[in-house]
Amino acid sequence: MNVATQTTGNWRRILGTLTLAVLLEQLPWAGWTLTLRPDFVLVGVLFWALHQPARIGFGAAFLLGLLADFQDGAVFGQHAIAYVIGVYLVLFLRLRLLQFDPFQQAAQLFPVLLAVQLAVLLVGWLAVNPPAGLAILIPVLPSAVLWYLIALFVRLLHGKGLQDRA
Amino acid sequence: MAMPGQLMFARRLGPTARLLIWLLVGVSFVVIDIRYQALGGLRSGFSLLLQPVREAMRAPTDVAAELGGFFTRHRLLQKERDALQLERAQLLVSVNAAKELARENTELRTLLRLQSRPGQQVVHAALLYQGRDWFAQRITLDQGAAAGLRNGLPVVDAAGLVGQVNRVYPGSSDVTLVSSPEQLTPVFVERTGQRGLAAGSGEGQMELRYMPAQTDIRPGDRLLTSGIDHVYPAGIPVARINRVSRSQASPYLRVECLPLAGIDRSRAVLVLIAEPQVTQP
Repeated sequence: MNVATQTTGNWRRILGTLTLAVLLEQLPWAGWTLTLRPDFVLVGVLFWALHQPARIGFGAAFLLGLLADFQDGAVFGQHAIAYVIGVYLVLFLRLRLLQFDPFQQAAQLFPVLLAVQLAVLLVGWLAVNPPAGLAILIPVLPSAVLWYLIALFVRLLHGKGLQDRA
Repeated sequence: MAMPGQLMFARRLGPTARLLIWLLVGVSFVVIDIRYQALGGLRSGFSLLLQPVREAMRAPTDVAAELGGFFTRHRLLQKERDALQLERAQLLVSVNAAKELARENTELRTLLRLQSRPGQQVVHAALLYQGRDWFAQRITLDQGAAAGLRNGLPVVDAAGLVGQVNRVYPGSSDVTLVSSPEQLTPVFVERTGQRGLAAGSGEGQMELRYMPAQTDIRPGDRLLTSGIDHVYPAGIPVARINRVSRSQASPYLRVECLPLAGIDRSRAVLVLIAEPQVTQP
């Protein structure tokens, strides 16, 4: 592993993309764009948990989940728990995911993202109110599409993707 | 080599163990937040951190709106001006009538030695951010404790009641919308004076609860706040009845209504600050 040589560059890239994801979520989304907004932060966290598991793991996911809880005005811990479960699933499927091409990756990520949303649903249900509908599951699809685009971009940029380096 | 007292095969915890630890931490966060409401400081911290970011991220859409407005057709503006002048004339007439009524009202109240309505003050606020909470409908305003807001204050726009302030940060505040599930608003039907309880049912809709089956109520009726809860001033329009249906299973009517305020459209709202009412022994 030649991790040490590229440490600073990687950290900069990781923090940069995660900051960008947080900023994108602060745009004034409203109406149907709000419903269809992919969960940028979640996709960012899962992406780095896949490619840099030594750096971005449970702790970062939990922290960003708390941020997501704040910005949605939800109970603290709701998204944090869900993001942590998402990271666990990605670590569990990691070796397989790294073999896949972008489309297969997105298809495999879809159930993971769905599980994350279901965890949000479950925690909210137990802790606050019964949900007002299953619209909560809609953002899963845009998130999976976003993952596909990112994976495609990374592949175009790096040839085979980050897989040979991880 | 391993030193004495050091594990020879020290390993990090496996992912499953770490997942369980973090789940435990998460559950304790939920419990602390709901049962003890002890995480207000963390929320304030996040709000201080994110408020400038949100204001900055609002700029692109503001610029787009400005540009769109700049290219509005001249004719459209003229039409709008004519309509506004007409509306202004009509409003002036009703303002005069209202002034007259207010004068008469104070006279009568002094005559009756009634406690006068608490002095009301308004704070202008703008929509700062709309979160995506699936269990309650909330918006974030750009005014907070610094402007004198506190929990429980009513928020209105030009068309009607928007909601109620439910969390206050130093420079911003969260408002629970009237259409949020489990948000109750005491109302009365404008046409008949029948009192009732309107509850949000999520997805931008409301329902009027516990209306006996023989109630005189029909689609198109307006609901106004009744003011009996001492939270909302009386007479703010809340919703318009959309559909009334009768079910076999329940002794009550099923009354669906639509909120009148542009709850997820209006950018500018007013927060009504009433002095806390002094109860006399």
